[in-house]
This record gives sequence, C-alpha cells and structure tokens, in this order.
Amino acid sequence: MFRRVLVANRGEIACRIAATLREMDIAPVMVCSEADRGARHTRVGAETLEIGPAEPRASYLNIEALVSAAQRSRADAVHPGYGFLAESAAFAEAVETAGLAFIGPTPEQIRAMGDKRAARALAEKANVPVVPGAEGVDAAALLKAARRIGYPVMVKAALGGGGKGMSVVHDEAALREAVESATRLAASAFGDGAVYLEKRIERARHIEVQVMGDGNGKAIHLFERECSLQRRHQKVIEECPSSAVDDILRDRLTHSAIALAEAVRYRGAGTLEFLLAEDGAFYFLEMNTRLQVEHPVTELVTGLDLVRLQVEIAATGKLPLRQSEVQRLAHAVEARVYAEDAARGFLPQAGVARRVRWPRAPFVRVDAGVDSGDPVPVHYDPILAKVIASGHDRALALTRLAAALDETLVHGVITNLPFLKALVRARAVEEGGFDTEWIEREFLAGFTAVAASPAPELALVAATLADSLGGAAAVGATGATAPSSIPDAFTALGRWRLPGLE
Amino acid sequence: MRSEWRDGERVRSVEMTPLGIDRYRATVDGVAIEVTARKLPDGRLEIADERGVHVAEVTAEGVRRFVRLGTLEFVLDAESGGRRRAQTRSAGGLEAPMPGVVTRVMVAKGEVVKMGQPLVMLEAMKMEHVIRAPRDGRVASIAARAGEMVGGGTALVELEPDVTPAG
Repeated sequence: MFRRVLVANRGEIACRIAATLREMDIAPVMVCSEADRGARHTRVGAETLEIGPAEPRASYLNIEALVSAAQRSRADAVHPGYGFLAESAAFAEAVETAGLAFIGPTPEQIRAMGDKRAARALAEKANVPVVPGAEGVDAAALLKAARRIGYPVMVKAALGGGGKGMSVVHDEAALREAVESATRLAASAFGDGAVYLEKRIERARHIEVQVMGDGNGKAIHLFERECSLQRRHQKVIEECPSSAVDDILRDRLTHSAIALAEAVRYRGAGTLEFLLAEDGAFYFLEMNTRLQVEHPVTELVTGLDLVRLQVEIAATGKLPLRQSEVQRLAHAVEARVYAEDAARGFLPQAGVARRVRWPRAPFVRVDAGVDSGDPVPVHYDPILAKVIASGHDRALALTRLAAALDETLVHGVITNLPFLKALVRARAVEEGGFDTEWIEREFLAGFTAVAASPAPELALVAATLADSLGGAAAVGATGATAPSSIPDAFTALGRWRLPGLE
Repeated sequence: MRSEWRDGERVRSVEMTPLGIDRYRATVDGVAIEVTARKLPDGRLEIADERGVHVAEVTAEGVRRFVRLGTLEFVLDAESGGRRRAQTRSAGGLEAPMPGVVTRVMVAKGEVVKMGQPLVMLEAMKMEHVIRAPRDGRVASIAARAGEMVGGGTALVELEPDVTPAG
C-alpha cells in the first residue's frame, strides 16, 4: 500500500480525499496556489506544498509543478480529484513516467474516453446506443452536420466534461456563436479547441452509472445516479437511486455500462453518463474517467468508500469486492452549495466566507471546502460544499436534506442556499417528475420572483439593530466592521447601552 | 435618524425609536411596528413583534449585511447617497457584474454599436459572461483590456448616443 499520496486538487474534494487517506494510514500531501494559502484543504494533510500563482494554468493545471511537488514530498502516488487535471492523459502519463502511481485510469483510457468521437465509437462497438452527433473544429462542417441531425443541437468542448461551456442552439446564427465560444473555452481549458455537437433529446433525464474496473477487463457497477436537476447544464441536486429507473431498466443500464468499461479494460472509478428519453430509451453520452462530484450519494447508498476503492485498485490492480457484494442499502440525495447568486443569473460570487455553519445531524454528511473566514477565490470553481442526506426511502432522504439545508449558514458570500431550499421542497422534486431542463423551464421564474420580493420588515430591523447593538460585529475575530458611513443611530442615544446588552 | 438599505432593486428605509428597555418603534418604509429586541449571549438577536418571537443572525461584510431570520436568508446593502448615485449610473449594464478576467474586447473606441451587440467578454470561476450594448450608441471609451483582472462593478465601456446623421 502507498505511504504518501499527493492530492492534486483543492477545495472540498481535496479535503474529502485526504480524509480517506488519513483513515488508511496514508499521509496526504496537499498542494495549493498562492491564492489558496491557508485554505481549508491546506489544513487537512500531512504537509502542504505551494505550487504556483493563483491562475489555474500556473498551479493546479501545471503538470510540471505538480509532479515536482510529488517527487519532493516523496509521494508514491497521485490522486487527481475531479476537474483540473483529473482527465488529462498528459498528467497521468507524467505521473507514471516519474515512477509514481496515478490513482485513476491509464493515460490511454483517459485519452480514448476524453475524445468524444473515440468514446462514441467504442460505445457503438460495445452495442451501447449513442445520441446522433458530430464533432470537429471546422465551423462549416459542423453547420452542415447540424442541418443533417436537425435542430435543436447541443454544443460543447469535445474534451470537456461536467457541462461547462455547453449550450443549446436552435438556429445557424446561434450555432456559429456557440461554436466560436466553445472553441475558445476548449482551447483555454483543455488546450484543444475541438467542438462536439449532438441532437438534443427533449425532456430527457440525465442518468449515470458508477463503475469500478480492475484494469484487466473486469468491472463492477455501483448502481446509477440521477442527475437531472441541473441549471445551465450544471448539476445541482443528485440522488441514488433514480426514481425514473426500475429494476429492468437498471439491469439494462448497468449491463451497458459494464460492457463498455470491460471493453476498454477500464481501471479505477469511472462514470458512464446516459440520457434517458421519455419513452425509456437511453443513449450513452460520455464517460467521465474520474471520481465524480456527486460520488457521495453512491457511497451513502452502498456503504462503500469510492476513494478507498480507487486507492486499493491503484495499489493492487485488483477489485476489492465482487458485484454480489454491492448492495443498495438506502436512498441518498446531495445538494451542491455554490457561491453564486441564483436570483441573478447564477452569477458566481467571490469573497470571504465570513461565517459558515454546516449542518450536523444523523444521516447527514457534509463535504466542505471552506470554514468560517476562508476566502472564496475568483479563480476557481464556485463550489463550496456538498450536503448529502440519506434515508431508507426517498421521501425521508429529501426531508432530511431539506432540514439540513435549513440549518446550513454561509454568510459573507452570496450562495445558492435559498435556491436549494426552495428546490428540495418543490412538488415536482418530491414526486420525482423532472428532466434536465425542468429547473429552467418551470422552476426558475417562480424562484426568481420570490427572491426579488421585498425582505420582511424584521430583516431590515435586524440589520439596523445589529449595527447599533454590535450584533453584526459579533462575527468575532474575522475583522468584519461596519463602515463608518452608516449612521449609528443608537450609540448616540446613550440609553441603548444598558447592562446586559453587551 | 434613519438608515437605508438596498434590498434587491429597492431602497428601504428604517427608522428606530427607543420606547423603553429593549422596546423600539421601528418605522420601515413609513410603516411603524413595535418590537422588543435584545442581543443573545451568542451574538444573535431575539426580536419579537405581535406575530411572535424571531431569532436573527446578522453578518457584516463591507457595506453588505447577511441576515438570517429564522431559516430565511436576506442580503441587504447599506445605502449612502454616493452609492445610490453609483447604482443609478450603473443602470446601463456596462460594468463587470462580477470580478473576473477580461478575455476579449470586441469593439473599438468610436465604433457605432447596436443594442444587444457583444462588447466585452469576461471569464470568472470557469464561466463566460458577455457584456452587450444595452442600447444603440457609440463607444465613447473603453476601460477594459484583454487579460486584465477587473473587480465587480468596474466600468468597462462607456456608451454615448450616436449623433451621426442617418443616411
């Protein structure tokens, strides 16, 4: 087994990986950029190495700096987390060339699955259905393909994942703009400007299957995850199992997933994303060759630690358990807490998470990347934490998640917590009747209207009183002070400073 | 003595008058209510009105107040005259809506632009944001340079009415 593992990531996922490493008696080696000095993830490892300036390309995307840090810290393996270099074949290759283990798939597998065209070809060969689509860098050819496939079409970076920079277009003019934008984002984020487009399946659900492969042609699945609750193609609430998947469909989905994973002799944790059409047909979208953001719902449902499985597979080349040992023991739902203003177009927010209180309750798990006083830098993904609740059925898990979100407090940066709280209580969510566009089509306008309604009088009274009674300054040693421009109406009145108020 | 708070699109006014120990008359937007309020040992505020007792938690961040009332969250910004003027000026939508990096400047000084035309592209937290012309006009000045880091609220482009005679 490894003795030291470098965690090539930041935020909540770096903290979560370090937790399992510590439990396994493996020393976690953390890395940080200049902007992340003192961040929560730098406080959870055996040591932390600074790897470069704030810009991701100079630090968390800097292969040379990361490999050098791994060597300097005498790590014997590297865990990439998700995002950043998690799906970079070049990084996996550099890590292995340096004589370290890469806790993930082989560079060839990352390359094959990261290339949507190759992934689709592999899926078709394994008899897994795919969505009609086309790929390339040539805008004219893409326009022609879109005409053949029929609008609307989806456009995204060929090497991307997670929906960043993805858009739906309904006509050629919009397609031109989307192709240009996707090309630029792809070039800056992945160093390859290739764009991928595909037919849009109306009212589809996003269902994915978690697999683990031994790298020698044997794979198991850990059931599906339902990830249809998305805004702008970004998942916000995920769950396991899916209320849209019955046992027969689950068998077909997991069978397809294993067929593809075994066909490429997949190594480690991977996720096969499918679109589920209203008629029950499903189409392979892509394979994410890494740990997913939403992996905790699978962990709470199966009782299996996916990071531990990843580490064990990387260290031994064997699957630590058989398919028959993987069981569904519960229902779990996750909400992603983002620093973004859901009422104003989900604008990302940066600043300082002045006061943070994560929920604590039975059946509630929090994977957090920030505590009170931690900065939320502008340079990185705005995810702050994930709140996950489980129960013996879906209704109970949702009830617990709603209660946990009510108890969550993040002050200092605007978050999507009000949005999440409203979302988990929406009837369509309770009933499981939604698709990937339901939030934007049926939920968002109502939420925005409620969010724009005036704050109750008592909220204004509280803000005013806190300034005069010192309630707002009670944040503690965080340095928050009221600006002098605010008239302090009450100190002047003297009698407000009564014994017992202080 | 009044304090003013920006609540979304509105500016709300609050006037507090002490009536006795822990008792106040709060006049919010001209409507008076009587409340009893005290600071709890943990710093939170207990506020009672005729409908019941509420616990509020307020966190200051610059001019911004994060207010938790029960399980509801509100964000209020302290208003001052200067800030209100700044808000009015920003109604054109040509400021960076968030801190970020300018990735592209798509117009030049003096250029005539149509409403909706992309002017500047920003990238922050892996999101792209296009700033478009809010109305027809002419680019009077550009304060944005590609590759430059800008703060939220920074004016990036100034538009003036296009006075070129038609035809």
